[in-house]
This record gives sequence, structure tokens and C-alpha cells, in this order.
Amino acid sequence: MHNSKIGVYLCNCGTNIAKIVDCPALREYAEALPNVVVSKEYKYMCSNPGQEMIIQDIKDHGLDRVVVAACSPRMHERTFRSAIQTAGLNPYMFEMANIREQCSWVHEDTWAATEKAKALTKAAVLRVLHHEPLERMSVKMCPSTLVIGGGIAGLTTALDLAEAGQQVYIVEKKDQLGGNLARVDLTAPYLDSARDLLTERITRVRENNKIEVMLNSQLKSLEGFVGNFVAAIQIQDGRPVAETKKLEVGNVVVCTGYKEFDAGRITHYGYGKLPNVITSFEFEKMLKAGRVETKEGRIPQYVAIIHCVGSRSQEFHGYCSRVCCMTALKYAHEIKSAIPKCYVSDVYIDMHAFGKGHEDFYKRTSEVKTLFLMYGKNERPVIRKADRGDDCEMLIEVNEKLSGEVIEIPADLVILMVGMEAREDSSEVARSVNISQDKEGWFIESHPKLDPVATTTDGIYIAGTCASPKDIPDTVAQARAAAARILGKIARGKIDVEAVYAEVNQDYCSGCRMCNELCPYSAIEYDEQKRRSKVISAVCKACGACVSSCPSGAIKGRHFTDRQIYAQIEGVLA
Amino acid sequence: MSFEPKIVGFLCQWCSYTGADLAGTSRIQYRPNIRVIRLMCSARVDPSFIAKSLADGADGVLVCGCHPGDCHYAEGNYKTMRRFPFLKKMLAAYGIEDERVRLEWVSASEGQRFADVVNDMTERIRLLGPSRVRSKLQTDKAER
Repeated sequence: MHNSKIGVYLCNCGTNIAKIVDCPALREYAEALPNVVVSKEYKYMCSNPGQEMIIQDIKDHGLDRVVVAACSPRMHERTFRSAIQTAGLNPYMFEMANIREQCSWVHEDTWAATEKAKALTKAAVLRVLHHEPLERMSVKMCPSTLVIGGGIAGLTTALDLAEAGQQVYIVEKKDQLGGNLARVDLTAPYLDSARDLLTERITRVRENNKIEVMLNSQLKSLEGFVGNFVAAIQIQDGRPVAETKKLEVGNVVVCTGYKEFDAGRITHYGYGKLPNVITSFEFEKMLKAGRVETKEGRIPQYVAIIHCVGSRSQEFHGYCSRVCCMTALKYAHEIKSAIPKCYVSDVYIDMHAFGKGHEDFYKRTSEVKTLFLMYGKNERPVIRKADRGDDCEMLIEVNEKLSGEVIEIPADLVILMVGMEAREDSSEVARSVNISQDKEGWFIESHPKLDPVATTTDGIYIAGTCASPKDIPDTVAQARAAAARILGKIARGKIDVEAVYAEVNQDYCSGCRMCNELCPYSAIEYDEQKRRSKVISAVCKACGACVSSCPSGAIKGRHFTDRQIYAQIEGVLA
Repeated sequence: MSFEPKIVGFLCQWCSYTGADLAGTSRIQYRPNIRVIRLMCSARVDPSFIAKSLADGADGVLVCGCHPGDCHYAEGNYKTMRRFPFLKKMLAAYGIEDERVRLEWVSASEGQRFADVVNDMTERIRLLGPSRVRSKLQTDKAER
């Protein structure tokens, strides 16, 4: 160990780290740490040239341990472990210092952040000196997949997996498949029927004997790890008493979708008070029934569509819900074709026509004489009841930005384009499958750009609007990507599990059996003859509860040994 | 210069460490006084980790785990919850102020909560002043 040669690599992460942490000073500091023979900084350590640099240095300098100070180990520990493995080192002869998520992104003061980065880097260097080479075990991958949610995302993932010959279970909370899309009439911009899209999927799902659909059901708990999960599903479907079913699955795809913004929260639109102010979903219902009319059953002469209800506002949700602009244009189209004489006004903040065919659709809608009025983000239009003499139900006052004038427009029917928000039960789902949510409640992907399908928990994938507002093509793309990822893992047949588990030193064990009772997985067995306890490594999940409780100090938590943690404590306090 | 407390944090990697990372991805700013050590579970926290931290100069020790009922290992955090009062009792008997050692539950989605806990603990320890454990140990050594 004293002859160990450590290489320390500091990542600038573009400017993510470098703009707060003084990286040259950190590099110099790291170079002077014990056993460090080489210390370098680079723009992106995780990039190919970054990894190549480490691999080359391992060969050139005969490094036997590597420290990377960069992002969270949850992000790139695996990347660097496999890089050093390529150079012939055991992947566990590596340690990461988290100087991005837990330093440069959360502190503003360069001096304080640099001091903290130094401490974290020193802790990693001192710790890695005590690392030992560990061997990984591999376990079989259960080829079945659990899909949570039977909307367009869940149906699509399930079909791709089942059509490749793999078993799929769909758990749907409601009493029917289809999700939010089942509430939609036509889809923008090509005006295809949503029902046609769904019916085709649902029929294929129903006919596929590799897919088991559980309606009125929900996931109660998920235990185990990638390749070897046990899911407990509570099924109410038609039963007087809910039944709990246990399923063995290798992977899980979360496709729980979204809920619409409650329009009643914006009081001055009068939703819930003015009978002819309705939400986009209520209008879809009208379109599906084939009758565009007011509550009183009259044909509206004026229809106003208000965009960004709950979206792109400081008080509610800052984000864009992505589908409402095109849906609003679709409404203009459908109203015009149902009631050619109707005046349609479209009251928007910005027109987001970002997708394929969207700009064309916007142009076509403008040509059918829709009145477009632009309002400022923080100046919402005001709706009031019209006076007796007016030929309309309501009047909408808009501070129109393009003309700079306050314009009053008539309306018999007002459609509020309600945005998407995370479902109220999303935190329950996040907890049960152990994934994270952002501040708006959307599930967080493993990497926002490079890995938008996986999560930080191995074997758990996300698809569709449970991750963020999305249109149908993006949802389907993510759903199919999740299926492809899972099929790739199934094709390998096995997965490598962490080499991190507890072991009992038989010479130190006094046979007191304290640890036997503590283990939540019953992974510790007692040998009556030898009067010693022993950990079954394949069952152990490495929590370390037994390690900290052993009165003889006989249990070692591999890769989290006392010695390694002590070294880290010394490092952070230096 | 004002007193800047040194706090060692022991975070379980499933909930609290992920929550601390989330504070980062959400760019939630908090006091830079905490130095985090990642563990698999709060139940891995050996009393010696806390003792050593204090002996090596920490002014405070924060242990964070998943909320009760949410432990990745089913019940690790319950073990921590039950063990902690014993440790606190012992520390109190040695004159170590109650607020220096703290146990908090932070989930993977509670980036804001993690930041709040760190800020609150930093300010409380700032008011308490530096821990005397380390200097006492050094004086004892010198006098003997």
C-alpha cells in the first residue's frame, strides 16, 4: 500500500465545475497528496479522450489506484471503473470525489467551494489507499418485465417486449387501458383519430398471450434488484376483496403519465363559475360526442381558446406543457369545420410549433381565419360575463402585445388549454420503485441527454409523460427505447452484481448471533458445529447493519470497511 | 474571521445521497460547511465513525437516512433510529452538546430539505462555537 501509485483526475465538466472551483489550485493540491504520482485536470473526464488519458497514465506511470474528482459517483462511477478495468486494473481500485452535485452546483463562493473540493479529493485519495481488488459475481436476469400504467407509453413498451417473445405484466390503476390518450378525439397535426391509435395497440395487447393485463391494480411494493425483482401487485379487478399477487420480474418500466392542471386554481378565468368556460379535456369530450355547443345547447358564435393555463407561469408551473399549442390549433380547425361561421380567437403567449409538421399546421390554421392575440406572460386575460345588450355570453379583455392595445373580444365558449402536471400519486410510485423526482414531481432520468430512459436505479425505466410533458411521438419513442434497452439486457441473460457484500472473519467471530437477527434478508447463517456465523454473499445486499453491530469487529463490509471510512473522515477534516 | 463549523455528513446512498445530488442538479444553494461521506445505509454508521469525526476535529456530525418505511434495506433506518438515542446519551455524558450530532431523514426527492437541514445545522453549530473534543484530546496527550 505504501508503494501505491495514485493518479488523480479533475474534471472541469465544461464550466460546470471550473467556473466555481479553482481547478488549477485543486490540481496542485492533489499532486502533493500522499502516493499521488500524477494529477491532471481536463475539460470532460468522462469523454473518450478523458478516459484514454487515464488508461494511458495507468500504463505509463504504473498507477495501481485512480481517483476522479468530478460529478456524482451515481453518474459516472461505472464509466471510470470500466475505464480502469480496460487498463488492467481491478475496477474497485477507484474512488470518486463528488465536486459537482455536492460542491460547484450548490456553492457560490470560489474559496469555500475550492476548500471543500480539496477536502473531498483528499478523502478520496486517503480512502482509495485502502481499497482492495474485488471480484464481481453474475446472476441470472429474469426475462419478465413489469409495466406500470396502461396508456400509450405502457402499451407500446409492452408490445415491443412481448413481440420479442418476452413475458410482460401491465398494471393499470383504472378499469380500462388507454390512459389520458383515451380522452382525446383527434391528434395534431395530422388529425388522426386517437381512438384508432389506441384500439390498434389495445387489440394487439389483448391478443398477445405474453402480456398479462391487470386492471384496477397497483404496485404495492418492489423488492430485490435489477434482474431479480419481486413485485407485489394489489388487484381489485372484480374481486370483493383485493388480492395480492407476487411477480418475479427483471425490469420495470414506469409509464404512469400525467394529470391535467386544475383550471379552478386560476380564479379570474371563472372556471367552475362561468358555465361556458371549459377545459381542453371537456372540449375533447364534446368533439368525441360530435357536438360543439354551449351549456345551454346553443351553437356558439364566438369561441376563444386560451393557452398556457397553469403552464409557463411563476405562480403555477414554469415549464411549457408542449402539447397545448398544437391541440389549440387542432381545436380551431375542428370548430371551423363543424361551424364554418364561428369566429375563433386564439389567445396565446408564444406559439410553440416545434415538432415535425407543426409549423405547417400553424400556417394552415392561420389561413382558416383564426384571430391570434398575444398576451404577456404575467398579464393574463380577464374573462367577465357580457352585458345584456351584447350578442355574446362573455367578454375577454386581452392586453394584446403585438398591437400594444387592450382588446376586448366576445366569446360564447372559452376553452382553457390546461397544462400537464405530475400525478398526485407520483411520489408514492417514486418511493416504491426507488427513483427520484424533480421539484415539479416529474421522474428524473439517469442522464437528461445521454440516458433519458433509464433512472438512477438499475432496472427501472421511465417512459412518457411521467418524466416530463411530451407529445405522442416522443412518448412512443421513449417507450420503445425502454423496451429495446430491456431486450438488450435479456439477450445477455445475466447481469453482474456488485462485489460489495459483508463477510465474517471466522477467527474473530464469537458466535454471539447478534448479526443473525439484524439481517433483513436472512443472509447470515449460523453453523451450529463451528459455532460461527457466515454471510451468504449472493443474498447479502451490503447494507452494513451487521458490520456496525458486531461486538467483535469480525464482520467486514467489503468496499465500505471501517478503515476506508476512517481514512475518508481524516481526509474531509484535513 | 467568523467561525466556520466543520460538519461531517454520513449519507445513505439510496435516499439521502441521492437527495443531496438532487439539491445539486436543482442548483439549490446551501452552506459549504458539510463534507459528505457516502454509505450504503444509515445502519452502517458505526458509533466509532461519529467518535472519530469529533476526535479529528468535526464540530458536528450529520447522519441522514431514508424516511421511516422507505429504507432500501427494508428496516436499516429503524435500526439507526433505535441505536441513535443510546449514542446521544453517551455523548451527553461526555459533555458533547446535543445539537452537534444529528439524525435526519432525507428522501431522494428532498433536495430542498437536505439544503435546509445543512443550513440549519451549520447555523446552530455556529452559535454553539467550535467543538472542544479535538483540542481536549490534544491537550491531554501533551500533558501526559
